[in-house]
Amino acid sequence: MEFSEEKLKKVDEIIARYPEGKQKSALLPVLHLAQEQFGWLSPETMDYVASLLKIEPIEVYEVATFYSMYNLKPVGKYMFEVCQTGPCMIKGSDDIVAYIGERLGIKPGETTSDGLFTLKTVECLGACGYAPMMQMGKHYKEHLTKEKVNAIIEECRRNAATNN
Amino acid sequence: MATGSQAGYQIARTTKIKLSDRNNIADQNMGVKLLLKDAHVEGIRYYDTYRKQGGYAAVEKALKMTPEAIVEEVKKSGLRGRGGAGFPAGMKWSFIAKPEGIPRHLVCNADESEPGTFKDRYLMEFIPHLLIEGLIVSSFALGSNATYIYIRGEYAWIPDILEQAIAEAKANGFLGKNILGSGFDCEIYVQRGAGAYICGEETALIESLEGKRGNPRIKPPFPAVKGVWDRPTVVNNVETLAAVVPIINLGGEEYAKIGVGRSTGTKLISACGNINKPGVYEIDMTISVEEFIYSDEYCGGIANGKRLKACIPGGASVPILPANLLLKTAKGETRYMNYESLSDGGFATGSMMGSGGFIVFDEDQCVVKHTYTLARFYRHESCGQCSPCREGTGWMEKILKNIDTGKGKMSDIDLLWDIQRKIEGNTICPLGDAAAWPVAAAIRHFRDEFEWHVLNPEECQRRNYGLAHYADAREVVA
Repeated sequence: MEFSEEKLKKVDEIIARYPEGKQKSALLPVLHLAQEQFGWLSPETMDYVASLLKIEPIEVYEVATFYSMYNLKPVGKYMFEVCQTGPCMIKGSDDIVAYIGERLGIKPGETTSDGLFTLKTVECLGACGYAPMMQMGKHYKEHLTKEKVNAIIEECRRNAATNN
Repeated sequence: MATGSQAGYQIARTTKIKLSDRNNIADQNMGVKLLLKDAHVEGIRYYDTYRKQGGYAAVEKALKMTPEAIVEEVKKSGLRGRGGAGFPAGMKWSFIAKPEGIPRHLVCNADESEPGTFKDRYLMEFIPHLLIEGLIVSSFALGSNATYIYIRGEYAWIPDILEQAIAEAKANGFLGKNILGSGFDCEIYVQRGAGAYICGEETALIESLEGKRGNPRIKPPFPAVKGVWDRPTVVNNVETLAAVVPIINLGGEEYAKIGVGRSTGTKLISACGNINKPGVYEIDMTISVEEFIYSDEYCGGIANGKRLKACIPGGASVPILPANLLLKTAKGETRYMNYESLSDGGFATGSMMGSGGFIVFDEDQCVVKHTYTLARFYRHESCGQCSPCREGTGWMEKILKNIDTGKGKMSDIDLLWDIQRKIEGNTICPLGDAAAWPVAAAIRHFRDEFEWHVLNPEECQRRNYGLAHYADAREVVA
């Protein structure tokens, strides 16, 4: 369990943004880095982050469990996080969630057996004018339709096949 | 009780309106753009183009002024916080404590999470240098040598854009050591949150920036005295800080001439829901709500020729208004898109400007279901510190879900009212109020719709209530 050299450099860079002795402030960004590298935050990963920032493991646990973006269990290679709050709901997000579930054979909160996809419902992502929408990794997929969902799933499958 | 809010409920016009309501001030100021004036200039995201369009002139001007003079200009401008609360920005700045030898910090609140709101995202994504320029000027005014942009974690691609803009500004001498030979040093850092609406509350944001859970702090002490790392801190919204640029360029007095009353300058409105043209619009605050919805310059009317049912004009936590109270105040006067007019009538018959998240509902939308999604949102986002909010948001969600799915009782409506009343004002931070207000307003104005759900448990699963008590309301204008 260790960060890549590049990530370790990044950690130092982040810590340098804060006053001396306030390296705990780097916790959220460093947890993002950890999730980028390991896919999710296992207790071992959190302990590792605690040792990097010279804070107690509990200080990491309490933060990791507070914020919705940290995955506390393994997730699929592609995570579809569909917004379901009011403005997306009135533009049909319920249908999109149901359709993705049907296409992938999973319910919200579940991961496909091949480990490729996780479906999750989330609260407002700030794309209300471009609803319905979902987050996929670093980016937003907006103005979703069934056709668009199909194309996204196909693209993920293609990418996964070529990368392996 | 069954008559509910029928009295005074009128159907909004669906045909395009003539804009004769516009008052003279509005005509003179029509189309004033300060923040988004160059939004469509190709390459405006990059320094060279931004500079060519006159960018960073405010930094050049400000660094020749004293910090006190800048604060004075912002005070004169009448600029009110654009994040939702509308507190005068210049006054907030003037509260910052200046103890000897203790650094001060400016923190930019880019944790835009209020449902219906996506204006800051637009600004950061397309005109990042405007924010950076505003941050440099504001940092100088407040004496912040290390300034932080706290951006919501889900906007994961935007930090790259901001960091690129910061690097460009630095390469051109507008950031770093001894900016433009003024002796002022400033660095700007971008920090990502990780998914928590509550971090838009300034003390929760500060906690989060310190690497902790986003639990709001008890005030006082206010951040201006004890903020991040116990240092004096000012937290301002993205749009507020961007607005400092035109204020310095124009001068506070000139800026204050735009708009009306205590609603000076321009405001970004993010419009969504059942309208023809969802998106981010910059308005001067003299246009009417009716014009904003129906004019082709803005929302372009209700989509699919439907009728307007209701609107949440300032982000999910402000009161929803039925069409009649949205377009006209209870006194029958035209309602305008500004702080005073939107709140005219208080919570009984008015709403709030809030964050400018403008959510429009057509006749086919179900107020009960929408209110349920908001209750679910606030339950999900409650930090759990205060029991009225932690428990109350969960109860409201459950009861609303029951009513929405035809399992509600008539007494549930009064129970909901009772719960929201006991949350409001009884929590450390305003999230409790934000959770209570939408429920209260939905019951206040749409009680008949809640009752219809209770009385028609099966029918409410097949169709929406719509504008049912008007026989002719179903005549859809194609």
